[in-house]
Order: sequence, then C-alpha cells, then structure tokens
Amino acid sequence: MTDPTFRAGFDATLETAINTALRYDPGSRARLAKLAGKVLRVDLTAPALTLFLPIDDGDDEDGGYIEVHSRWSGDVTTELSGSALAFVQLLRNRDATPAKLGVTVRGSSALLAELQAIMRDLDIDWEEPLAKLVGDSPAHQLGTGVRVAASWLKDALGAAPKASAEAVSEEWQMTPPQAQFEAFAEDVAEFAQGVDRLEARIEVLRRKLEGRGQFGGEEK
Amino acid sequence: MTERKTTHFGYQQVPVEEKAGRVADVFHSVAARYDVMNDLMSGGIHRLWKRFTIELSAARPGQTILDIAGGTGDLTARFSRIVGPTGKVVLADINASMLKVGRDRLLDRGIAGNVETVQADAQYLPFPDDTFDCITIAFGLRNVTDKDLALRSMLRVLKPGGRLLVLEFSKPQSKLLEKVYDQYSFRLLPFMGKLVADDADSYRYLAESIRMHPDQQTLKDMMGEAGFVDCEYHNMTGGIVALHKGIKP
Repeated sequence: MTDPTFRAGFDATLETAINTALRYDPGSRARLAKLAGKVLRVDLTAPALTLFLPIDDGDDEDGGYIEVHSRWSGDVTTELSGSALAFVQLLRNRDATPAKLGVTVRGSSALLAELQAIMRDLDIDWEEPLAKLVGDSPAHQLGTGVRVAASWLKDALGAAPKASAEAVSEEWQMTPPQAQFEAFAEDVAEFAQGVDRLEARIEVLRRKLEGRGQFGGEEK
Repeated sequence: MTERKTTHFGYQQVPVEEKAGRVADVFHSVAARYDVMNDLMSGGIHRLWKRFTIELSAARPGQTILDIAGGTGDLTARFSRIVGPTGKVVLADINASMLKVGRDRLLDRGIAGNVETVQADAQYLPFPDDTFDCITIAFGLRNVTDKDLALRSMLRVLKPGGRLLVLEFSKPQSKLLEKVYDQYSFRLLPFMGKLVADDADSYRYLAESIRMHPDQQTLKDMMGEAGFVDCEYHNMTGGIVALHKGIKP
C-alpha cells in the first residue's frame, strides 16, 4: 500500500491548485457555493485513482470551495468513471459529452452539468494575485498588457490557418490558389471517370472477342 | 521503607506522580511556539498526517467529536466545519497553556458555536459514558502516564460503534530511515528547539519520549486489551508516525 503521506500530499496539492484558481474568479465561486453539500466521486481508470470532491460553502463569504479526499464515508451525489484525459476534455471542451468520451456517469447528472458549465466559463482575474505581489498600479498595467497580448494571440491563432494558407499559396507560391486547385481537381475527377468508362468498354470488347474465339458463333 | 513506583519521562525514570507535572512544564514552555515548531520539525508534513487522520475518522455532520490533547486546535477547527451547527467538537487538553493558545486561535479564525474547550486528563475523562461518535488523540498519548488507563477511559466515553484514532510517533520501518531519524531527533531537533523556542531540553524530551512510546504492534495490542475491536494501524512516512484506529463494540 502507498504511504498515506504521499496520497495526502497529492490531495492537498490538488485541492490548493483548484481553489487558488477559483479564488480569482468570484463568479465561479459564487456558482459553486450553490452546490455546497454535493459530492462528486471520480474513478480514474488511467491512471487508476479515486477522488472524492465534496463541495462546501467555503470559509468566507466569497463562495464555494472544492475539497479533495481519498476516502469519503458520506453520500455521493454523482459518480464518474473514465480516463484522466477524458475528464480534462469533458471539463474544457464545450461539445464534449460523457458518452462521446467513454465516461460513465452514475447518480445525478445535474451536478456534472453545472460543474462543466463553471469550468468552461472560468475567467480568472490575474490582476488580483499580481496586485498582491507588485501593487495595484503595476498590476493593472501588467494586466492590461497581458489582456491585450492574450486578445491579439487569440485573434492571431483564430486567423492563423487562413493566413498561413494564403501565405503558402499566394506569397510563396508553394501551392496553387484554392480556385485553381479545385478546377484542377474537377479535371482530374472527370479524367478519372473517362478512364473508368474506357476501361469498361475495353472489357466489353474483350468479352466479345473471347466469345467468338471459344464458340465460333455470332454475337446475339 | 517501600520503594516508590516510577515511570519514564523521556529516558529518565521519575516517580509516577511527578510525570504529569514534568510533561506540563514542557508544554507550558513550548505552547506559544508549538505550531511554528511543528511545521519546522516536520517540514509541514504533520498537516498531511492530520489530514489522513480526519479522512479516516469518517466524521459526519451532526456528530460529537472529542479531540484529546488537541493543543492548538488544528484538528478541532477541521472537525468543527465537518460536524456543522448540529454537531459538537470538544477540544480537551490537560495543559492550560496549550488549551489557551488553542482556544484563542479558534476564536481568531471565527470558529465558535459548536466547539467547547475542556481542561481534562485523558486518564479520567470528565464525560458521561457513550458520549462521543469519534475520539482523536494526536501526538498526545505518549505523554500520558498510564496509557492503558487512558485507553479504557476513552472507550468508556465513546458510543458503541464509535471510533478512536491515535496519531502518534512510532517506529520507522527501515533501518536506514531509523538511523537518519535518530540523528535528526537527537542532534538537529534540540538545536532547532534552542534556536526557535530557546528551549533545547523540551525538544530533547520530545525525541526521547518518542523512543519510549510503544511501537505499532504493541499499541495495537494495548487497544485490543482495553476493549477496542477491529484495531488496525497505518504507517505514515515510513513508520515515523502511525495512525491507529479501533472501534468500541
């Protein structure tokens, strides 16, 4: 059996990480507080690990708190079973459903739906922890810079596939433009169909010739 | 002339009636810096040992918990949240200085309403029979003069089906770890005690008292003899600490 100290350390670290992130998104914490008293059991298949995540209303007025335990003697609201990767996708990907990802759900699915919504809407205000380190004004400046950079990065990443396609085809002329390629593809498809038709005609002629040779008679 | 009955106080033999007073002096001396020293001595790992203790306690809302030798109240604080407004936690300690530090700390953290503090001797617990759903004693049993008497007293005040959890230093399971631990306990620990709390002797006593405490199997047997059933223990950090659990039948 693993030394309980290691497991307790893992649970404590995970709990701190989750709640530190939540601390800087008061909206999410307020939504989480409404789930106080509910308990999520997560059975990870790869790696094999069982986590109990009871939600409580937190020490202060700011909202909910998620605990992480290896054992739980009370009732469980929802039980989930699946791989760690599937859970990450389930919480982050808007279109992901448990069935698509091979995650088994037992008990109330409402808790899972609400947690998914909270995780997807998580909007951490990084200025607050920064302000504690460097003061309000520098934190605001840094925060503004980070927001502008993040927005630019988001736009850039969104436009990247289109921009890179244009660069490859038009600027560097490494590939043909899309319209030219489509016309070429149509020609190739037409040619392929022509080849197929020709092949079929040759086959018919071959059979006729073979029939004459074998029976010496006329085609009926 | 009759010979006086003695017991151990660290590596010294002292008259039985003197041990409680001497232990009290140690804890009066370290009370103010107890938490800082715990963090320093264990590298913060004592929090993980206590975390596991709380998980194994299976405490539930509405239950009544007794935290013996609760000292500065860290287990009590956690139990207070778990049992909620319908439950109750009693923080008990034989030492008034430790109890005062614990009570003040709980109040500073806004923990009140479902917590009581009681100065009590673990050997003679001042509670009616069948009172508690769960009793914890963390790093306290080794300082009790008559451990068998204390275990029977705890059994009496537990409800049938109630759990006793004893978190205590124990015997490391590897020879190498034991050697490293000995060096740490007898060289570094008193030095840190001197540096942080200006009290090397108290911390030397802590190291000695740990060595005089029964090992894992002996304590498990003692719990069984006291009347607990389904006794088990979990070694933590290689056996430096063990958590014993027993149920009142």
